[in-house]
Amino acid sequence: MDTDNDNSLDRTDDFDNGDGKPEKMFTLKKWNAVAMWSWDVECDVCAICRVQVMDACLRCQSDNKRDVLGKQDCVVVWGECNHSFHFCCMSLWVKQNNRCPLCQQEWCVQRMGK
Amino acid sequence: MSTPARRRLMRDFKRLQEDPPTGVSGAPTDNNIMIWNAVIFGPHDTPFEDGTFKLTIEFTEEYPNKPPTVRFVSKVFHPNVYADGGICLDILQNRWSPTYDVSAILTSIQSLLSDPNPNSPANSTAAQLYKENRREYEKRVKACVEQSFID
Repeated sequence: MDTDNDNSLDRTDDFDNGDGKPEKMFTLKKWNAVAMWSWDVECDVCAICRVQVMDACLRCQSDNKRDVLGKQDCVVVWGECNHSFHFCCMSLWVKQNNRCPLCQQEWCVQRMGK
Repeated sequence: MSTPARRRLMRDFKRLQEDPPTGVSGAPTDNNIMIWNAVIFGPHDTPFEDGTFKLTIEFTEEYPNKPPTVRFVSKVFHPNVYADGGICLDILQNRWSPTYDVSAILTSIQSLLSDPNPNSPANSTAAQLYKENRREYEKRVKACVEQSFID
């Protein structure tokens, strides 16, 4: 918040300056806009391995897998139910039960990526 | 050696310490993070009240894709607890989800103590008494609560 508001109140004792126009009570001197952001995912932690989905999953961290750019290549997968997990974590789970671990709906991949 | 299962169990332990659920506690054994000891306190307003029931939890390297084996070490007279301490609970078998952690397992077992399911009995005497003779059921449960102080 801007606290420098000594002059923000342009008030005179007499509202009518004599020319018939009422004096402005306030003048906007400063306007601070605040923007908020968050990752565009419903849950930011993979509920299977409990690591942030934007970080590499526990398995990739311990295998220390890297792609050609030297970055950890561990992508996020979103289901039709909008729940997101690490692709690595989810691909192991769906082998034994093709349901979303969070809502138990049948698991259908909606999209994949970072 | 740190495997994904062991790393996940470290996270489970951290969460259990930072955000401990009431009436349960657990920790890995000194030299093996794959074997845990836990205690569940008997829930209030149930015949299990005041009991301190000890359990062991054994994980495999497939955790959290496979559930751990959970067993009561203390004697527990309950429709869904076998004589050897094994627990008949759907989330530990066919309804397991890899999103569960130690905290969720222990609180589920705690609520099983309050709400037995007498229709899939592991202890048929307990199930029958629970349905037909609640007074006798509570008497037998209170006996195992007292036993739990000595175990």
